[in-house]
Amino acid sequence: MSDLAIETHALTKHYGNLAALERVNLHIERGSVYGFLGRNGAGKTTAIRILAGLARPTAGSAHILGIEAGPDRIAILQRTGFVIDKMLLPYMTGRELLRFNRGFYPAWSDTQAKRYADALEIPMDRKFRKLSHGNKTKLCLLLALAQNPELLVLDEPTAGLDPVVTDQLLRILVEDFANDGRTILMSSHHLSEVEKIADWVGILDHGHLLLEARLDDIRDRYRRIRVAGEHAPANSPEILTTSASEGVTEYVLCAGEEKFVADLRNNGATVLEVLPMNLSEIFLELAGKENRNVPVETVA
Amino acid sequence: MIVRVHPASGVPLYLQIEAQVKQAIAAQAVREDDPLPPVRKLATELRVNPNTVARAYQNLERDGIIRTVQGGGCYVNGGAPRLLKPEKIRRLKPLAAQLAVEARQLMLPREDTLRLLDDSIKELERQP
Repeated sequence: MSDLAIETHALTKHYGNLAALERVNLHIERGSVYGFLGRNGAGKTTAIRILAGLARPTAGSAHILGIEAGPDRIAILQRTGFVIDKMLLPYMTGRELLRFNRGFYPAWSDTQAKRYADALEIPMDRKFRKLSHGNKTKLCLLLALAQNPELLVLDEPTAGLDPVVTDQLLRILVEDFANDGRTILMSSHHLSEVEKIADWVGILDHGHLLLEARLDDIRDRYRRIRVAGEHAPANSPEILTTSASEGVTEYVLCAGEEKFVADLRNNGATVLEVLPMNLSEIFLELAGKENRNVPVETVA
Repeated sequence: MIVRVHPASGVPLYLQIEAQVKQAIAAQAVREDDPLPPVRKLATELRVNPNTVARAYQNLERDGIIRTVQGGGCYVNGGAPRLLKPEKIRRLKPLAAQLAVEARQLMLPREDTLRLLDDSIKELERQP
């Protein structure tokens, strides 16, 4: 058995001329919490829909729990909780939806369903279509969690949730899923939340996977280095971006901090600061619009 | 012992947890042979990945600050951390460098900077 819960190989999806995914290779280890990041339209939802068997790849393949996505959809759905479109049968209440869904899933737990409904404060006797946006999302989450699955795939699970419910959801995800060695793939725009709960991140941009790594490794390696002078000479394949203004040159480095700083000092440069970067700063460097490999001369 | 983590700081969360356990021991909030919260419990409380907490505990154990009892959780060790002198120096060097940079920028004379450090050490030694 593979130790990957999800694996895609050169996964590609084209909508006419639009390349939503371009040869994406995802590797999601069993037992990991994987933060799937990217701007709107980066291709996250497309990738997740292919995993759930809701879309067909143009090329490449995806395996979930060792099963190929697409042909054997049912086997995957029985063991995986998906929250994607946040749409359920509109005329059914939460309570009815629980009764309706429970028969489909071998590991379903009524006890957990009750606990989660209380923790997430879901009005269970109102019809789905009458629920607010946040409550609709919560009900979709409840159905996926109560499935008691070995893998959760959540597309922006906290979008539209208030801070208290978000915190309760994160608690459930850590306590009942991560602590238990189950796998979670979640896309999100809330980077500080991902930064806490995830141990792996993948960053998608314009259909390309820019980065896939352990979060601790990323935080250990990425550095912002500030050097006095606007023409500090530096050359390294590890420089991600360079910018200069007001007498300071700033480098963003994706590895090799110690050697880089030593080289700068040997060349007589004054290194002012070496700063760690949080996930949001790294994300903006990789997927942001500014500073994209702009040479020093044009910025100064 | 209350642990708090700040994901936005850019400092890896496992290092933040390590630092806070060390501080709690230095401040005697937890003492020798006191238990630390189990990995899963602390992870749930902090809403962080359990591997992050486990990594912090592993590093603390490697440094001899805590010990793990088979199936019975983690406990605080007494005495100084079992680290070799070169390793102690390696860890403190960045802090010394930072002090030197700040002092240079403020143009504080060398003697005053050294005295400042010396005073801080004496102050710690005065405490019981």
